[in-house]
Amino acid sequence: MKKLYRSLAALSALALLTAGCGGSGGADPGNVDPQGKIEPRAISWLLSRPADGAVITTMEKLADEYAADHPGFKLNLITTPDRPSYIQKYETLAAANKLPELFDTDATPFAQKLAEQGRMMDAEKLLKDLGLYDDYRPSALAYQRFDDGSLYMIPFEYGAEVFWYNKALFAKAGIDVPTSLDDFPAMCKALRSAGVTPIAIDGADQWPLERWIAYQPFRTDGPEYVKALKSADAKFSDPAGQKAAQWLSDLGSSQCFEEGFSSVGYTDAENLFTTGKAAVYNMGTWELGALATDALDPSIRDDVDFFTLPTVDGSATQPNEYVAPSGIGMAVNAKTYDPLVRDFLQFALTRYPDEYAASGALGPTSTEPKIPANATPLYEKAVSTANDAGEETIMPWDTQLDPTTNTMLQQELTLLVQGNISADEFVSKMDATLEQNAPKYFK
Amino acid sequence: MLPYRSKLSVALFLAPPLLLYGAAVLLPIGQSLVLSLFSWDGITEMQFVGLDNYRFMLTGDPVFWRTFLNQLGYVAICLVLQLGGGLVVASLLASLTRGREVIKVLYLLPAVISTVAIAFLFNRVYAVHPQGLVNGLLGAVGLDGWERPWLSDVNTVLAAVSTPEGWRFIGIYMVIIYAALIAVPQELAEAASLDGANAWHIFRHIRFPHIRPVWLTTTIMATTYALRGFDIPYLLTNGGPGQSSELVTTYMYKTAFTSTNYGYASTLAVFIVVECLVAVGLLVAMLRRRADA
Repeated sequence: MKKLYRSLAALSALALLTAGCGGSGGADPGNVDPQGKIEPRAISWLLSRPADGAVITTMEKLADEYAADHPGFKLNLITTPDRPSYIQKYETLAAANKLPELFDTDATPFAQKLAEQGRMMDAEKLLKDLGLYDDYRPSALAYQRFDDGSLYMIPFEYGAEVFWYNKALFAKAGIDVPTSLDDFPAMCKALRSAGVTPIAIDGADQWPLERWIAYQPFRTDGPEYVKALKSADAKFSDPAGQKAAQWLSDLGSSQCFEEGFSSVGYTDAENLFTTGKAAVYNMGTWELGALATDALDPSIRDDVDFFTLPTVDGSATQPNEYVAPSGIGMAVNAKTYDPLVRDFLQFALTRYPDEYAASGALGPTSTEPKIPANATPLYEKAVSTANDAGEETIMPWDTQLDPTTNTMLQQELTLLVQGNISADEFVSKMDATLEQNAPKYFK
Repeated sequence: MLPYRSKLSVALFLAPPLLLYGAAVLLPIGQSLVLSLFSWDGITEMQFVGLDNYRFMLTGDPVFWRTFLNQLGYVAICLVLQLGGGLVVASLLASLTRGREVIKVLYLLPAVISTVAIAFLFNRVYAVHPQGLVNGLLGAVGLDGWERPWLSDVNTVLAAVSTPEGWRFIGIYMVIIYAALIAVPQELAEAASLDGANAWHIFRHIRFPHIRPVWLTTTIMATTYALRGFDIPYLLTNGGPGQSSELVTTYMYKTAFTSTNYGYASTLAVFIVVECLVAVGLLVAMLRRRADA
């Protein structure tokens, strides 16, 4: 608590100091090839990725190689894997105008403000100038773009989000893979009658459940719905929103998710699936190492398969279009951009795809990952499915809505699925919150 | 009375901590007051909005009132556990002849464990998947009907997030109250018991009145700590489900660091300061009146 007061105090002090000098950019965000000598120095990357993950280990290796040729160069990695804490740190530094050379951010409304103030380099120009732009998967770049199509972040990962399921449990319940989103409630009921938890979900982190509210509108109205919704040009009470709310309410009353899901964390949810207690687990291909190699328990290893997001009648989007995120992106600070930063990025981004693919993970470029020796056949199937993903991707709503509406949405979704509120109550409460906050945020 | 020179040296030695206190506590409060008059997202220009934030907080924000009521519930549960629990344990301890130190240490232990660890611990204790201690015990004694996801049920979550905080500090208050209890002159109790007073009478009319000043201090401590309670509810449920366990403090934190609405968050911070001052004022007034009566 004391800490809180202190951070608030620091903030208010900052407020007084920086009042009136909000948008101080520095360099020109479009000038991606500044002239001058490359002078090695230490640069920092403020990032939100697992410390032992493939992105960090790969980049550390590349930075060491670069430093060997450029004495004096050093890449400081400051990582805060926990997303909410990271966002707090990053936004506070942004407010203090103290962001380092490189920093992670999603394509959030806050990031868009930074871009508008000229504080981030134009990533599309930069990648084109480095001759790397065409190597990237279009959907990986699409995920990083703002609504106006501009690109300010560079992706380092790629993943398709699918529904992992247990074939044996489906057979036990006598059901097939759902062909429409509208089949889910019936699927859950059948699985429940067979004594199985239908879907394992990490409710504690809130974003997994928030994916589910995005599914129906993306199928019925396409990606335009959330774009209009976030600025309150569309409403939760529009047919697309109504249908989504009703669907989630039905999922809740069909007992789709495990009991007490709202306090179950990531690992516990995954364990429910990998121990054969739950039939479905909606998660990305970043789990391939755990779900499609011999790391998986032999008793269910051959039963695991996956299906992609089903469509609905008259679907506005294609079956191969679903959530295919390229992870949190990396922005380049325009204020500290110089020939050194450019040269390092050129070196690192050119070498990155091969190095990263060697780890077996799907990367943001067209370079194929090296399938590990202990992989099951599912691994290759997942990789090829991800390769076929369409260009249109579901933008997760937590990166789209204004933060206050988003927080309210995450809280109310739990109540909706737990059956504490009805779909109508949910819709009217969300519309009130949206009206209150969206216009202020997107003015 | 100290001679002049000593007074000066006392003042000199008091000055550094006072300055530190001013810089670390009073200044930020002042700054929050200033900031609460603005609308500011951290990166664009600050806008002076006068008392709009206060008006919105008091009349236009249903979430705020919900969090305020939750906070009162949280305080009540913490106080019962910490002061009530502390008093009971201290009284039992005072009548114990052996093993006092061991018991004291055991009760104090949770107070030195990091909050994050405690939050993780209780997340497990309340869990359904895999089954935690609470549900396991209920099942074992045949109360299966009471088993529930304590942190997901809107009816139980507030109590569930308050309990760890209350439990955690029982030891601290137990030690303070125990110290006061053993300072009560033994002769008074002995005289009373010769006059035919039972244990309850002795406690009610002799021991408790004797420790009243200490009791007041501990009550103020426990109340202000509970009013500022933040970390365990934040880590356990993040205020959910819905706003069932959202406290004014967690709401303030989210408003500042998630919604980047620093002006309104400062308004909430000012409210917390006022709330603490009012609570302490009420307690002092209440206990003083009872002492006079």
